[in-house]
Amino acid sequence: MEDRLLIMGVGNYLMGDEGVGVHAAQKLLSSGLPEYVDVVDGGTGGFHLLEYFEKYNRVILVDATLDGQKAGTIRLIKPKYAADFPKSMSTHDIGLRDMVNSLQLLDKIPEMYLFVVSIEFIQQQGVEMTDEVEAAMPELLNQVTELAMKLSPAQAAV
Amino acid sequence: MSTRIVVDPVTRIEGHLRIEADIENGKIKDAYSSGTMVRLLEEILRGRDPRDAWAYVGRVCGVCTSVHSLTSVRAVEDALDIVIPPNAELVRNIMFCAQYMHDHVVHFYHLHAMDWVDVVNALKADPKKTSELAQSISNWPKSSPGYFSDLQKRIGKFVESGQLGIFSNGYWGHSAYKLPAEVNLIGLAHYLEALEWQKEIVKVHTIFGGKNPHPNYLVGGMACAISTDDVSGLNAERLAYVEQLLKQGKEFIEQVYIPDLMAIASFYKDWGAIGGGLGNYMSYGDLPWNGYRDTSSYKFPAGAILNKDISKVMEVDLRKDDEVQEFIDNSWYEYKGKGGLHPWKGESKIKYTGPKPPFENLDTSKAYSYLKTPRWKGNAMEVGPLSRVLVGYAKGREEFKEVVDKALTDLNVPVTALFSTLGRTAARGLESTLVAQWGIDFFNQLIDNIKKGDTRMADSSKRDPSKWPAKALGVGHAEAPRGALAHWINIEDEKIANYQLVVPTTWNASPRDAKGQVSAYEAALRDTPIADLKQPVEILRTIHSFDPCLACAVHLYDEEGKHISRISVLGD
Repeated sequence: MEDRLLIMGVGNYLMGDEGVGVHAAQKLLSSGLPEYVDVVDGGTGGFHLLEYFEKYNRVILVDATLDGQKAGTIRLIKPKYAADFPKSMSTHDIGLRDMVNSLQLLDKIPEMYLFVVSIEFIQQQGVEMTDEVEAAMPELLNQVTELAMKLSPAQAAV
Repeated sequence: MSTRIVVDPVTRIEGHLRIEADIENGKIKDAYSSGTMVRLLEEILRGRDPRDAWAYVGRVCGVCTSVHSLTSVRAVEDALDIVIPPNAELVRNIMFCAQYMHDHVVHFYHLHAMDWVDVVNALKADPKKTSELAQSISNWPKSSPGYFSDLQKRIGKFVESGQLGIFSNGYWGHSAYKLPAEVNLIGLAHYLEALEWQKEIVKVHTIFGGKNPHPNYLVGGMACAISTDDVSGLNAERLAYVEQLLKQGKEFIEQVYIPDLMAIASFYKDWGAIGGGLGNYMSYGDLPWNGYRDTSSYKFPAGAILNKDISKVMEVDLRKDDEVQEFIDNSWYEYKGKGGLHPWKGESKIKYTGPKPPFENLDTSKAYSYLKTPRWKGNAMEVGPLSRVLVGYAKGREEFKEVVDKALTDLNVPVTALFSTLGRTAARGLESTLVAQWGIDFFNQLIDNIKKGDTRMADSSKRDPSKWPAKALGVGHAEAPRGALAHWINIEDEKIANYQLVVPTTWNASPRDAKGQVSAYEAALRDTPIADLKQPVEILRTIHSFDPCLACAVHLYDEEGKHISRISVLGD
């Protein structure tokens, strides 16, 4: 799988904005990305996702964050250790961090790119996202797609 | 005078669980368990197509995702009077067994073992002695002195660099850790091996459920078509892979998990008298051999035991108005009327009356949890591996008697040691060995059916909603890894009118009822000795022995959504 690139959206689909990563993955699944890209809706997968991280050398993650910034703010970070992940990534964060810690122990950590979308902390239930986060979706998909293009195996070989 | 200590969150996995415990004379006098996060699935499901409910409930949590989907399709099939084909039942059972193996092994090594195994102490182990010990308890091939010394070096580097990562929250060096360094090293080695192993067994879900996480289910059967030659269907190659995964799973459980469990348990026999708790156990039963409706064919029998009296197992009826009821006397909800409600009449309206976060302590004289309080005929019940194993044992099922009696003999402990923290942790391992074998039995039956030409996988006769009654009630149940789980559905005019989930952690972690009767966690913590108030590892041992998972037990978040990732000691 050396040449392949994984895009994984994680989050809880039942908790409004927290599911932004899952919503993004679902849209990317049908968006006609290049052949070398695989898209996975990671949901609240936790340890179930380890397999994917071991299989791919390069992973783009999309997740929500509660970082106090305006809702819909998109940031790209390149985490190396679990500690580099944003502090508060809502309910599923613990599983994801643990997993990155585990990968580190196993010495199998892939090259990771993490898109975080800021959400505001409000009690949200339901599959609908707020207007602010929904409005950020086209830009998010753009940025993810752009990065995916940049990470083409052909480019890497150069 | 007592001291109150707070552990929040107790889990590293899904959900927020908070324990407040009052300590007097070195022991827990009283404890309070609170779910501090809320998630209103009931509201999300109302008005939706009942055939889609499985997909939503499967999203509630990343840990037992498929069990909720299974329970949901069973509830809808019950309401609409659908009997699924035998192959669909077998596939569901095989997925169930794979889930158990995955969940129990991950729980033991990644969520519970560090309560017993001192990782840092493992660095002091003699690799040669470790190797001898490992070879004396198991035939597992990875056991050479070189293997253990390499591992020590790797982890040592990790510890030196200050990147303890996943192990950074432990109470290393605490006097309650009793294992020799060599056993600690074996535990640590298998922590890592289990991490690699767990990603294999879940592939069973990908093969049958089309994807993982959150595999696909289907009302009326399963969505995987058997096709001996189609590349994309359930062909011979994929089935052979499933068989291989099930066999590897069984091997890991028999050669790694069980020997480790027994070796560790032998140093903690005192925990066979701590953490017993309620003494009331309940299982809804699961893994049908002859169809979900034939409850006598369940590999895990159903029943209830009261007051540790294993000479008597009572029947449980999920349809009866006065058996399973949920109360809210100490929960942040409100009902239109008073008293308990059977889930078919269940209500889920939130009324938060707790302190405004951040707070130091909950006012436990008032409502203190987002969990409701379920009762069976008015009794608080423990659910989970121990309940399942005790019900099987009490019913005289040979398979259960064999594994339980062997473990008791090997550890040289009396049968009463089952009613404890150690008993709970051991029961999880023992049922894993049973499930590992059953998974293979179900698989062989499936192959047998296919060879006979039976490839039916779904009953689609009720797919058209116009064939449904205007109103229908259904209940679906399953034995989730954490315990008895049921969904109650109320269908009106082709839509979900009401949907209630009563999940295992709600049974175990709920607040006390109007009569002051405590639920399983609170009961199990009473009288637990606490050696060091600042490092209450004993609380973690007992609570983790239940395998808490709050994601589905509570319905959103507390206002602040704060993670208090440390142990707070309040008062003095």
